Amino acid sequence: MTKKKTAAPKKRPKPSSHRHTPGQGHCVDLLRQLSAFIDDELPSDICREIRTHLGACPNCEVFIASLRQTVTLCRHRPVPPLKSSDRVSMRRAILDAAKTQ
Amino acid sequence: MRTPAPKTSRQRPATQEPDGFDKLYRDHVDLIYRYAHRLCGETESAKDLVQETFLNAYRGLKDFRGEARVSTWLYTIASRACIRMRRKRKGEPQHELSLEDFVPTSEGEFRLQIPMEGLSPEEALQNKELRQALDQAIDKLPKKYRMALVLRDMEGLSAKEVGSIMGLNERAVKSRLHRARLFVRRELSARGITNHDDHKSGGLGS
Repeated sequence: MTKKKTAAPKKRPKPSSHRHTPGQGHCVDLLRQLSAFIDDELPSDICREIRTHLGACPNCEVFIASLRQTVTLCRHRPVPPLKSSDRVSMRRAILDAAKTQ
Repeated sequence: MRTPAPKTSRQRPATQEPDGFDKLYRDHVDLIYRYAHRLCGETESAKDLVQETFLNAYRGLKDFRGEARVSTWLYTIASRACIRMRRKRKGEPQHELSLEDFVPTSEGEFRLQIPMEGLSPEEALQNKELRQALDQAIDKLPKKYRMALVLRDMEGLSAKEVGSIMGLNERAVKSRLHRARLFVRRELSARGITNHDDHKSGGLGS
């Protein structure tokens, strides 16, 4: 992992001073609704309002893109298939356990 | 794109043993193994959970009245068994995830990105670092949030179905799902995942 030099030295943000100030309250409200927005569960007027905000707020736009990517990655997370030998041995173990009750 | 749930009948499975159980097992073991693996994150625990699920299903088969789909019934049994199972590998945080925790506190944090621009999700997940980060993020989620994320975003069930499986209303399912997604997003972007093309390190130095 490479460490990159950044132009500005990293500072610990003061409480709220480094918050996303442009329309801060709005951005926080938006954050609460982002999953509903990307799942298309919000009424159309609220969706329109959010889209308008996203057009004017690059930070929120990047945030929502990364949340969408997160959902996409989760959906495509691979699972190894069940081995035939495990399918057979588990069935036997279940039936044995059921019969020893 | 969600993984479609397999077609399952609402009919009551035959209760004649062992045929009824064999059909139930044959038709659904792959589904339940996949679910168990997604919840547990590794093979041995997943197999334990599958066995526990089908053992409980075997015992409950004669009382199953076909009011729910067979798959929903099995998901419910597996979910309850998973909640009961103790984690063997390490302690698991059981804290609540607060939305406030996910409000970015700096512009840099708002703009953290996941390195998959221009890549399909399959290609992105070939990046070992990203794949591990995803696995670890899901593994770190408290169980009740992980379960909502797995059922909704990986198994592709509706919020209503997830609610019926987890014994929650839809609103609670959506709330857990949202927090789980925000958690995974933060874990993926805050770890400074890099790829080989000198993409920006998105790390916060954490």
